[in-house]
Amino acid sequence: MPESLIAIGDALPYLLRGSLVTLVVVVGAMGLGLVLGVPLAVGQVYGHPALRRVIAVYVWFFRGIPLLVLLFLFYFGLCTALDINLSAFTVAIIVLGLISSAYQSQIFRGAILSLPEGQFKAARALGMSDLKAISAIILPQALRLSIPGWSNEYSILLKDSAVTYALGVAEIMARAHFVATRTYQQLPLYFAAGVIFLILTWVGTKGLRLLEEKVRIPGYSTHGL
Amino acid sequence: MAAPILRIENVSKRYGKKDVLKGASLDVNKGDLKILIGPSGAGKSTLLQCINFLVKPDEGRIWLDGQEVRYAHKRDLYAYRQKVGMIFQDFNLFDHLNALENVRIGMVKVRGMGKAEAGERAVMELERVGLKDHMQKYPAQLSGGQKQRVSIARALAMDPRVMLLDEPTSALDPELIGEVHAVIRDLGNNGMTMIMATHQISFASSLASEIIFMEDGRILERGTPDNIFNHAENARTREFCSKITELYGER
Repeated sequence: MPESLIAIGDALPYLLRGSLVTLVVVVGAMGLGLVLGVPLAVGQVYGHPALRRVIAVYVWFFRGIPLLVLLFLFYFGLCTALDINLSAFTVAIIVLGLISSAYQSQIFRGAILSLPEGQFKAARALGMSDLKAISAIILPQALRLSIPGWSNEYSILLKDSAVTYALGVAEIMARAHFVATRTYQQLPLYFAAGVIFLILTWVGTKGLRLLEEKVRIPGYSTHGL
Repeated sequence: MAAPILRIENVSKRYGKKDVLKGASLDVNKGDLKILIGPSGAGKSTLLQCINFLVKPDEGRIWLDGQEVRYAHKRDLYAYRQKVGMIFQDFNLFDHLNALENVRIGMVKVRGMGKAEAGERAVMELERVGLKDHMQKYPAQLSGGQKQRVSIARALAMDPRVMLLDEPTSALDPELIGEVHAVIRDLGNNGMTMIMATHQISFASSLASEIIFMEDGRILERGTPDNIFNHAENARTREFCSKITELYGER
């Protein structure tokens, strides 16, 4: 037993540097997913029917293909074929971000559709253009409602990021695997990796819960009925 | 006689095969309070929403101050909507903004006013509807009557030429109707031009310059309150008025 503790202790600084890589990948992917997901959702709700169809195909594509397949397709396939020189780390953020944008767009779309129709109507009645009404009235409310779904997306992305080890991204899983196969201390090392993921999940979802409370609209509860 | 401030000519709207509005025409002069009455499904709400093009009419033309509204031009449409205030049955206050911000946002986002200047004007409008003390409250913290008064202040802050009121008191508890009616009465006394759909006929008959009875997408009869409520020519008008008098009390 002490042997395994020593193994964890020795590997811990190395694993923790890996969790920093994991966090950057997850935060980067969530950010990219947000920046792309919002316009996708707006386009799908308010856009021209042709645009809606294009977005539906985009969402279908990125939700329909397994992460590992997409990672290999982009990194070994597209980057090689088009002779683009991107690091595995960058490709991981881009692919996870594109996938996340598809999922996030549906979180935002649901939130937009849950708002009373009168909100958009009243904004237009004041003389706002559709774009102004969406940015000043619809999105501030819809994004608040999206935080619980977003918290889901965070925990899924966090765990999905472990798959990028297959490209050689030096995140938690890759490092745990590297040390484990060298020291033959598989049990303590994979256990340590799992615990780090648990802690990161807790911190992130807790943080989002606090954010949800912080931006709560007075008169509404975030604690159920 | 002066030219009408708002002229509505032959406005029609069809949903699928159903004609919900069959050629409504209306001239509104400055300071008029036109009251639309009629059973639900008569087309009152559709007519009001066609007037500011929240619902796009299939046919018909509208003039404001003698200028035809070119509603296919977005810029013209947005400019026109600023001049036509709209009050909804269910208030439609912006839920994420407090009372002050609700009144201010149109001035800031649409008229391009500075926040401070718009804020001062918003306080003034809230004072006018008796809600200066509640300006920091959010919609969820206000009563129905207070919400409707905020929505009136929000419309007034845009300096509308005409106000459209779509059953402004229908969603209110009976004891809250009075405070909203007081604000509308005050507007009328100050010369605001209004078109209002309502079932509150005692209020209507005391203030209206004209009562318009609608049924089945058509304007069936129009006249002074006395004419419509006491000497209506059309049998349907008489029937409706007697029913609504029974429901909403003596005039």
